[in-house]
Amino acid sequence: MLVIGAIVASLLLVGAYLAAGGSSYEPEQVQNPCKPRPWSNPQTLGQIANQFTNSALDGAACKLGVSREALARALATPEGRERFAKKYGIDDEKLAKAVRAGLLRAVDDAEEAGALSPILAVPLRETLRNIPLEEAIELIHNGRKLLSNVEGFLGPAGSIIEQFLP
Amino acid sequence: MALAAVPAALLARRVGPGRAAAVGLAIFAGAGLACGLADELSTLILARCVQALGGAAAVTAALELLPATVGSERRAATVWAAAGATGAALGPALGGILTELVSWQSIFFLQVPVALIAAVPILAVARHEAATGVIEPELRRTGRPHLWANLALAMVSAAIAAALFLLVLLLIEGWRLSPITAAIVVSVMPLSALLGARLTEYVADARSRAAAGAILVSGGLAGLAFLPKATIALTIPPQILVGVGLSLVLSALTETALGGRAPQAIHGGWTISARHAGVVIGLLALTPIFTADIDQQRHDAINAGTAVILDSPVNPLLKLGLAEKVSERLEEEKGKVPTIGPAFEPLPDNPAERAEVEQLKGELQDQLDRGATHAFSTSFILAALLGLIALFPIALSKEVEL
Repeated sequence: MLVIGAIVASLLLVGAYLAAGGSSYEPEQVQNPCKPRPWSNPQTLGQIANQFTNSALDGAACKLGVSREALARALATPEGRERFAKKYGIDDEKLAKAVRAGLLRAVDDAEEAGALSPILAVPLRETLRNIPLEEAIELIHNGRKLLSNVEGFLGPAGSIIEQFLP
Repeated sequence: MALAAVPAALLARRVGPGRAAAVGLAIFAGAGLACGLADELSTLILARCVQALGGAAAVTAALELLPATVGSERRAATVWAAAGATGAALGPALGGILTELVSWQSIFFLQVPVALIAAVPILAVARHEAATGVIEPELRRTGRPHLWANLALAMVSAAIAAALFLLVLLLIEGWRLSPITAAIVVSVMPLSALLGARLTEYVADARSRAAAGAILVSGGLAGLAFLPKATIALTIPPQILVGVGLSLVLSALTETALGGRAPQAIHGGWTISARHAGVVIGLLALTPIFTADIDQQRHDAINAGTAVILDSPVNPLLKLGLAEKVSERLEEEKGKVPTIGPAFEPLPDNPAERAEVEQLKGELQDQLDRGATHAFSTSFILAALLGLIALFPIALSKEVEL
């Protein structure tokens, strides 16, 4: 009787926990940065800047063969960048080139998603291609400055971009 | 303790249980003081080893002394086994409270007066033994230890060690509870063990009690492996099962191992050895598994957390600030699942941004908490399996009436 009671109590507990999702935990999977990330329908300049930043990180991470998340942490702090360089053997020059490539992909993604008109995409690409390497390195040394620049070059065009928003 | 218990019991037989218990308690108290005063790990470990020698002598000799107090060997075995089960369940809770309220050293300092007070009534027996100097020759004979009961004890003890130690680790390292809160949470187990001790009185068949206990311990461990959420309340039902189960199984198996065997101290020594060997083997087997799992889960949770930040609708500059602070916290609390709340302070003034950041904070902490909880799952499942495997030796064990 006692044994049956123990079996019933154990099965009830485990069954209840499994039914409540106890075995369903899967950590959120990190997406392959080389796969295109769908652009949600951006309504404001801030939302465009957000998606642009994510696309740029994807592009740079894809070029470096790392995850977008690992790259974002590397760009967040100088210590993060040092750890990243040590772990993946990627120096500042390679990182800066990848960030530049990432920004170009962001323009491509924005254009493909219809969030950026080709009229704007062409000069933006040109501007990005012409960022000197030293300046690009300087940008990755200061993530805040990098993002300000993203907003910076979207900023002046903001009113025009907003006219092209879907 | 696993190595010292049987030799200590043999010594107790040779010099008399009163003297062995008195000397054992004195050594235990002295070594406890040394533990509390230890300023480096090697000293602490050495003092703990000495303490185990004293403890082994006192605990095994106590089994020889108990029949005179409680009336019969069978009753003595029951009381002794119940005391061991309650102690096993109570230890982590009491240790956590003392660590938080005073210090970890206080655990050892408290043992000194407790051991000395316990030695006082034994001194009279020790003096009597010293005066007479006679150990009855027939008591020196020792029979074979009860293989199946001791094997089952070792397996169940490995499972119980997982329940006690892994749960405390999950609460403190994984869910970032303070030691005192963790101690209060795990006190459900000793309280449930008291309930299990009451059940013991109603079921005479030791094998049924042992089997039911092992099943309950395994069921509780499986419950801990499948926690649906990182919530204290959800740990309570599994703890009740483990607590009731450990009380039933430890006392039943100890009684079985001692049943019809003489001298009791030697066979009590075997049960102590089996239990402690089980704890050691359980921790040795499970620690590398959960350490590797927690590293992997931490890595996954950090990636998932970063993805949550990046995919959030928060302004990119604000995101970068958050990423910086979260990275700092991850570094500060290396090896632990961090509390990321402070990384989100101060919250933005803008109500819309504030709401977004609040939501982001919740999602990120949820990722970290779920990752930490899941990191212990494999170890809990393996421990549950150990408890179930113990059913085989339990089925093969036979109780011999005293």
